[in-house]
Amino acid sequence: MNPTYVRIELFRQSRDVGNLMFTVLMPVVMYLLFGNMFGGGGEPAGNGNVKFYVMSSMAAYGAALATTSIAGTAATEAMLGWGRQIALTRMTPAGFVSSKLAVALIVATGCAGLVFAVGAGTGARADAPWIWTASFLIAVLGSGVFALYGLGIGMAFKSETALGVASGGMVFFAFFGNVFMPLSGTMLDIARFTPMYGYAGLVRYPLTEGFGAGEGAGTDSLGMLVANLVAWTLLFAVFALWAVRRSRARR
Amino acid sequence: MKTTTEQQPASPRAPQPGATALELRDVRKSFHTNEGRLEAVAGIDLRVGTGEIVAFLGPNGAGKTTTIDMMLGLTQPTSGTISVFCKPPRAAVEAGEISAVLQTGGLLRDLTVRETVTAIAALHGAKSRIDEVMERTDITSLARRKVSKCSGGEQQRLKFALALLPDPRLLILDEPTAGMDVSARRAFWDTMRQDAVAGRTVLFATHYLEEAQDFAERTVLIGAGRVLADGPTAQLREMTGGRVVGATLPAGRPTAPAVAALRALDQVTSVRLEGRRVSVTGPKSDAAARMLLNELAATDLEITTPTLEAAFMALTGEDS
Repeated sequence: MNPTYVRIELFRQSRDVGNLMFTVLMPVVMYLLFGNMFGGGGEPAGNGNVKFYVMSSMAAYGAALATTSIAGTAATEAMLGWGRQIALTRMTPAGFVSSKLAVALIVATGCAGLVFAVGAGTGARADAPWIWTASFLIAVLGSGVFALYGLGIGMAFKSETALGVASGGMVFFAFFGNVFMPLSGTMLDIARFTPMYGYAGLVRYPLTEGFGAGEGAGTDSLGMLVANLVAWTLLFAVFALWAVRRSRARR
Repeated sequence: MKTTTEQQPASPRAPQPGATALELRDVRKSFHTNEGRLEAVAGIDLRVGTGEIVAFLGPNGAGKTTTIDMMLGLTQPTSGTISVFCKPPRAAVEAGEISAVLQTGGLLRDLTVRETVTAIAALHGAKSRIDEVMERTDITSLARRKVSKCSGGEQQRLKFALALLPDPRLLILDEPTAGMDVSARRAFWDTMRQDAVAGRTVLFATHYLEEAQDFAERTVLIGAGRVLADGPTAQLREMTGGRVVGATLPAGRPTAPAVAALRALDQVTSVRLEGRRVSVTGPKSDAAARMLLNELAATDLEITTPTLEAAFMALTGEDS
């Protein structure tokens, strides 16, 4: 990882106003909408209130969307031949990926941070400060998994539309991952196997301790949520590796 | 430092001064395509000494870019070995000893010129050279401009700047002036000739024959993944069989005896007649010229050296 390279890359991402607005502001707006939908959101839920539940869900969504779209830019860079330019320097492929990941995590921190800040200012409550910290850290660090997903999609399709496909996929994952609104019944049974379920469940775990918010939803054990996240991390890692190898072989 | 003029001794082998900068031994590369195996590079042997300036000349699809990719460690050869200053290519890249201007893309459109140079300099650990390199390649005035707003020639100068950042001993240029107009091309080679290149070993791929003619003392001609010819650029031109003498025969005299007399001259390889215009090809142009002017009373005499283009076509069997 190279600090100067990361700094320039951050400047570059920050100039992409359209993408940034979408990634940073969407979760905030959705928090404000959903957070006030369910009975004003001030009702208690787990170790805090409903607004905290919605806030942490949206922060998770925002952070994951940020890492996906930033990792996906590696694809357009490869298309432009920037990867070949980098290959003529001391930087290794692992160095390139870790720099990309650093940029993605910094933007994810900003994204989740903004949602948390707006949440704190509009009535999200938790019983203890550590719940805020834990929830925030899990949201930021866990979002790294979706960088693998973005990288994989980007390298597999190597086009401008790949980014749209990756971001669109995130909306789908978020809906089926019990992130936007509490699911119940069969939908919830399916949701338990989708990529965002474990991640979002863990982000909310400090608040809910696994209790489901949907009608008739049971309790998810910590082990089950971790298993979901680990399984998808491995799957995305294999996918990303396959896509990177394939893109090289084709040259 | 050697001169780049055409007064090279016509020795059978190209001069190879100094230590070896680059060596390829029976390098082959094949790809799997939909139509089966494609052998892009079919056994190339090449040695480039330090300080040499070598043109790598060949038509599109000859295997130039694939060979260059292998020299830079971007692609692994299927068989054969490549060493750059006695190291594997990737080690030489990491040591900053070899650098290149690549043909396709290679720039991020939404970075500024200065940001691009800074980013790559940081990766080389060569941030102290940024200002010097930008000055040398004449891009200081473009520093704050977005790459997407730069012309083709300006982008090429930027790529040249990136290649100079590690202060490489061997510089590889793959079609460095592709897409430039004539004046931009001239300006680029002027920059190249200046101190930017002094003392460096340079290998450049091109299909602009004038560039090989004007800039390289040695030309390696490749086609179908093989070395077709390798020698001093001036010598390569002579391989097509000397000069061409053209003249207009006087009106009112039969042309057939004149053509017959020219054909009878020593070492004439061909005589062609178009209307009254006759062209005589052969290594001994003086004798043909003397006969045309004195005995045949011809006018508008012209003596031309065949271009590298002609040498190229004769050797590759290409029509265009």
